[in-house]
Amino acid sequence: MPETTQFSGVGGDGNQDTTLKANFVLQNRYKIMGVLGGGGMGTVYQARDLNFTDVRRLVAIKEMHTIATDAALRASMLKTFRREANILAALSHPAIVKIYDYFDLNDRAYLIMEYVNGSDLELLLSKTRELPNDKILEWAIDLCDVLDYLHNQKPDPIVFRDMKPSNVMIDSLGKIRLIDFGIAKTFVSGVKHTMIGTEGYSAPEQYKGDVSPQSDIYSFGATLHHVLTRKDPRLEPPFSFHERPILDYNADINPSLVMIVEKALNFKSDDRYKTCVEMKEAIQALRYHPVNVLSAPDHAQVSENGGTDFFNDSIDTGAIQPRWVFKSEDEIRCSPAAIKDLAFIGSYDNNVWALNRDTGELVWKYATMSGIASSPVIDEANRLVVFGSEDNSFYALDYRSGRMNWSFQTKDRVRGMARVEHGHVFFGSDDGKVYALGAANGRQLWAYDTTAPVRGRPFVTNELVIVGSESGEVTALSLAGARKWSYRTRRGVISSPYVDTQEGICYVGSTDGFMYAVDVSNGFSSWRFRTTGPIISSPIEHKGLLYFGSADGNLYAINAQSSREKWRFATDKPIVSSPIIHKELLYFGGTDDYLYCLDATNGKERWKFKTNGPITAAACIADDVILVGSMDHTLYALPLVN
Amino acid sequence: MNFLQRLFGAEKKPNSSIATNDELKTPLPDAVKSEPPILARTDETAPVLPSTASLESKFIDGATRPLSEETLIAFLGNEHLTFGQSSDVGMVRTNNQDAIYSFFSTLRSSEERPDFGLFIVADGMGGHHDGEKASAVTARTVAVQVTSTIFTPMLAGDTKDQPPITEALMSAIEKANAEVIRHVPDGGTTMTAACIIGDLAYIAHVGDSRIYLITKDSIDQLTRDHSLVQRLIELDQLTPEEAANHPNKNMLYRALGQNELVEVDMMTRRLPPRSRLLLCSDGLWNQVENKEMWDTVKQSATPQDACNKLVALANQRGGGDNISVVLLSMPG
Repeated sequence: MPETTQFSGVGGDGNQDTTLKANFVLQNRYKIMGVLGGGGMGTVYQARDLNFTDVRRLVAIKEMHTIATDAALRASMLKTFRREANILAALSHPAIVKIYDYFDLNDRAYLIMEYVNGSDLELLLSKTRELPNDKILEWAIDLCDVLDYLHNQKPDPIVFRDMKPSNVMIDSLGKIRLIDFGIAKTFVSGVKHTMIGTEGYSAPEQYKGDVSPQSDIYSFGATLHHVLTRKDPRLEPPFSFHERPILDYNADINPSLVMIVEKALNFKSDDRYKTCVEMKEAIQALRYHPVNVLSAPDHAQVSENGGTDFFNDSIDTGAIQPRWVFKSEDEIRCSPAAIKDLAFIGSYDNNVWALNRDTGELVWKYATMSGIASSPVIDEANRLVVFGSEDNSFYALDYRSGRMNWSFQTKDRVRGMARVEHGHVFFGSDDGKVYALGAANGRQLWAYDTTAPVRGRPFVTNELVIVGSESGEVTALSLAGARKWSYRTRRGVISSPYVDTQEGICYVGSTDGFMYAVDVSNGFSSWRFRTTGPIISSPIEHKGLLYFGSADGNLYAINAQSSREKWRFATDKPIVSSPIIHKELLYFGGTDDYLYCLDATNGKERWKFKTNGPITAAACIADDVILVGSMDHTLYALPLVN
Repeated sequence: MNFLQRLFGAEKKPNSSIATNDELKTPLPDAVKSEPPILARTDETAPVLPSTASLESKFIDGATRPLSEETLIAFLGNEHLTFGQSSDVGMVRTNNQDAIYSFFSTLRSSEERPDFGLFIVADGMGGHHDGEKASAVTARTVAVQVTSTIFTPMLAGDTKDQPPITEALMSAIEKANAEVIRHVPDGGTTMTAACIIGDLAYIAHVGDSRIYLITKDSIDQLTRDHSLVQRLIELDQLTPEEAANHPNKNMLYRALGQNELVEVDMMTRRLPPRSRLLLCSDGLWNQVENKEMWDTVKQSATPQDACNKLVALANQRGGGDNISVVLLSMPG
C-alpha cells in the first residue's frame, strides 16, 4: 500500500522489531492479543481491558512513535497529541469510535479505542466486485452526518483531515464508523527524504496547510469516487479525479450522483458544497426521488461549464443549408478540388466534372473510359487538373477548358491521388508502381515497383518520396526513384503517409489497425498507436496533434510526440475518409453519411450535416465553402459556419 | 566572455551568473579558474573523439590564455555527439543513490547506420541501501535491454519486424520495474532516459529527474515531474516559489518499483544542430536555477567541463542531495 510513509527515511531502526508481543500487558491494564494493522507511523493492536474482569471487553490500541530525533520536537509532538486526544475523547456520536483513554510511554503515544468488529471500506472494496448503490448512498448520508457533527463542534470545528476508505469501518450491523483521525499526522513531520506515493484523498489546499471543513468534503468526494469507480486514487496522479469520469467505470451510476461527487471534488474549496448538510440534502434527493427529476437542471449546468455546446445543436436541427448541390450519375468516392472560381469532382460515372464554385453550374466535363476514384489535383503552374481513372490511365487536363494536355497509361487501375511537387507528378497505380512524370508533358522520369497496388497519395519532401503499398510497406525513395528505406507494417497500407517536415517524422496508418510514426531520416519506427479497426483514413498533423479516422468508427486526436490519446470522437460506422482542419475546426465525413465539424482542440461536435450516402473521401475547403462528395452521387457545397 | 555572449546572443546579468570559479567549493583545474573560460583538460571520463582530441592536444599548451573566437567556434562544431557525465554524493548524504549511464556508438562505413546513444539518470530512494540498489538495477536493466532490442538489431541491419523504438524502450523500463520489485522490494527509483538515434531523441521518463533541451537561445524542460508539488503548480494551487520550499516537495506519485504497472511518459524530440540535452537528478535542479544551468553549459568548453561545474555549483549551494548530470552536445 503506497502510503506517504512507505519510505520513512530512517536508516537504521527500520529493521528492529519493536512491536508489542501477544500477552504483553500495557500499563497493567491492556493485554495485547494481536496486531490488527500497521502503517509506517505505528501499529494498531487488539487488546483486552483487564479492568473488566467478568466481561471480555476488547479495545483497539493505536500506538504511534515519533521518528523525530530532536528531543524538543518530540516533546512538542507529544504535547500536540495530548491536546488532540483530549478533544477526541470528548466527542460522542454513534458513528465515531469512542476514545477511552490515551497516554504516552517511552516516547510512544497510545490511544485506547473502542474495538469495532467489522471491515474497513478499503478491505471491503478489495473483497467485493460490486457494492449495492443503495448501500453506498446510505453510507454517504451517514458520513455527511458525522462530518457535519465534527464540523459543528464548538468553539472550533473539528476537521477530520484524513477521510479515506481505510478510515471508514463498516461494523457488523452494516453501519459506518469513523475510526481514525488526523491525529496520527502529528507524527509525520520532519521526514525529508524523497517518498513515493501520495495520500490520494487529500484536498489541494491541505498541502498548503489550509485545512477547513471543505477539505473534508473534498476527501469525502475522493472516497466516493474511489468506491464508485474502484480506481484507487493513490495509484493515480494527485487531483486527477476529473480525468477518470465515474460513468466511464460504472455506467449504472445516477448522473446526478456523479455531479454531486464532482462538485465535492472541485479544486477550489469555494466551488464545493458549503456544508455537509448541503451535500447530504443533495444525496438524499437522489435517494427518494426518481432519477430524472434532477436531470433537467443538471444538464443546463453542464452546458454552462462549457461541456456541451447548445448553440451548435441549433445548426444541426436544420440551420445549415447547402449553398448548392451537384448530382453526378454515380457514386462520388473521391475528394473534390478547387481553384479560383472552379470546383472539380470525379465520379464513378466516368467523368471529371468542372463546376462553378459559387453556383455549382457545369463548366465542362471530361469522360474517361471507366469510373473515377482518384481525387483530382490542381497543378497551378501548368494550369492542369490531374487524376487517374479505373481505365488504367492517368490524365492531365487544362483546368479552364477541360481539354486533355497529356495522358499516361499504366497496367492497372489508377485509384491513388497524385502529388504535384518539384515540377513532377507522383502517383501510384494498382499495377504496384509509383510513377514520377514530368508535369508539363507526362514524360516518365522513373517508376518504382512496390509489388502491390499503391492507393495512397505519395508524400514528397525536399529529398524523398514516401509512399505506402498494399504490400504493407512504407517506402522512402529519393527524388531520383532510388529506395532509401522501407518500413513494414503487418497489413496493406492504403492510408497516405503524412510528413511533419519540421520534425522529420512520417505518420502513416495501416489496415493492421495501427497508426505508425516513422523517422524520415532512417525509417525506424518511433511509435505505433493501436485502433480496433483498419486505418484507411490518412492522418494530418496540426499543432502537435495527429488526427485520423479508423474503421473502428472513431476519429482520433493523439499527441504526435508521445502518441498519447488526447480525445476521440465516436461515430456509428467506420471512418475511411481523411480529416481536414481549417481555423481550428476539424471536418471529416463518415460512412454513417454525416459530415462532421468538431472543435480540433477538444473534439466537441460543432455541427454535422447529413448526406444520403456514406462519405468516403476528404472534404475540401475553398474560400467560404466546404465541398464534400457522397456515395449518394452528390457533391455538396456547404457554407463555412463559425 | 564577450565572444561567448556574441556567439550565443546571450544577455548576462551580473548577479544571476554562476558563481565565479573561485567561489566554487570543489576545486577545479587551475585552467578553469580564470575568466573567460578556456579550454581545460577534462576528466578522464570525458569521451575523447578523434576529431576533438587533435584539437585538444593542439591547444592544451595555451590553456592559460583565452582562445580566439574562431577557434572556439571550430571546436563547438563537432562531427558527432559528445557527452560528459558526473555524479556526486553531495555534501550531506553518506551514500550516492543515483545511477547514471552513458553509451554512444558511431559507425563510418559503406553501410549507413545512424549514430546511436543511450543516456540514463536514475535516482533511487529507500532506506538502507535500497535506493542505490534500485537505481543500479534500473540503469543496468534498461541499458542491457535497449542494447539487445534496439541497438544490436540496428547495428546488424536486422530491423525487419522490430517493434517501434518507443515500444522497445517501454518494455525495457517495464523489465527494470519488475526487477526492482523483485530484487529491491522496499526501494524505488526515478528513471529518465534519452535514446538517441541519428538526431532524434526518444525520451522515457518516470519521476522527478529531468531532461532539459538547451539551445543558444533557450533552456526548456522537456520532462514533467511526477511530484505532488508539480501537480499543485499545474492546478494553480502553488507557485513555483512556494513549491521550492514545500515540506512535501520530494513526494512523488510515480516511480519505478512502486507498482506492477508503471506509466511512463514517452516523447520524441528532434534535436537541433549544436543543441544540448541535459539529464539530471533533483540534486541539481533543486539547487541550480535553469538560467544558471544555461549559463554554465554555454560557458563550458566541453560537456564534461559543464557537468563538473554544475555538480560543483550544486555542492556549493549545500549539496543536500546526490547530484547527477549527463550532458550531450549535438553535432552541427
